[in-house]
Amino acid sequence: MIVNIGDVIPEWDMPSVRPERMRTMAAILRDPNPVHWDKRAVVARGFGEHTINQGPLGLSYMVNMLHGWTGPTSVRRIVMRFPLPVFDGDHIIARGRVTAIRTENGKRLADCDIWLHREGTRHPLEGEATVELPD
Amino acid sequence: MSTKPLPSVESIRALVGHRFPGGEYTIAHWENFLLTECTGADPLPDDLAHPVVLFHVPILGARTSIGEMFALGQADSDSSIGIESYQWDFFKPLREDLTYRVEGEISEADRRENNGRVQDRIAFRFDLAEPDGSPAARTTITWLYNRGRR
Repeated sequence: MIVNIGDVIPEWDMPSVRPERMRTMAAILRDPNPVHWDKRAVVARGFGEHTINQGPLGLSYMVNMLHGWTGPTSVRRIVMRFPLPVFDGDHIIARGRVTAIRTENGKRLADCDIWLHREGTRHPLEGEATVELPD
Repeated sequence: MSTKPLPSVESIRALVGHRFPGGEYTIAHWENFLLTECTGADPLPDDLAHPVVLFHVPILGARTSIGEMFALGQADSDSSIGIESYQWDFFKPLREDLTYRVEGEISEADRRENNGRVQDRIAFRFDLAEPDGSPAARTTITWLYNRGRR
């Protein structure tokens, strides 16, 4: 696989973040925070009328982007920050760009900037990833 | 303005080194299937677990819970917690039906103030090992416990 610094990673599209997925996620995570599954709790807290996506779910969109690019066992590291919440109904696109290529223990690794794009706002999630490049 | 008393900074700093009981966790096919569906992806091949499991598997495997982690930091409420960052390191791909040994502790805890807003920053570090003891993954969850204006 030929990869160069500055290459753009093929994006991964989530056309509409779905609230029922947040509820399934909350049940498996045993997540007591109602902002993920009770719209009334979100309204009561003044966050608007859309439930808030779990942080790991937003992060998973970027994992899906990386899997589509370099394969399902390629992710070595992800560091993610969360400047803004993602809401149900949002159209989110995972994007990234290669910032460095290096070799470690005989493996070719690519360091990348990664982020979630949402039209009209700053990136709700942003961070860095390292993936192992296939031959 | 928060209505709850502000925890002492000493009680927050004293959290560093707190260890969870630790234990084992086996990723079941059903939970991997459902979690993967939540991410919008198709199931991965060869019994691979979607990396998103690296949030709940360490927490539950170390014998704690999100609720306990909120309580340890004396959260004002469930919705007063913000995420600073998650760092996920994978030394091997995670798989279904493999029993991982999980250890966890609080690695950082301190207070910061900005323009009258008080936050306690607490980092939880978890390590997963395969049955032969070889490292499989490490995750560091850093949460911000918002205390409002003081």
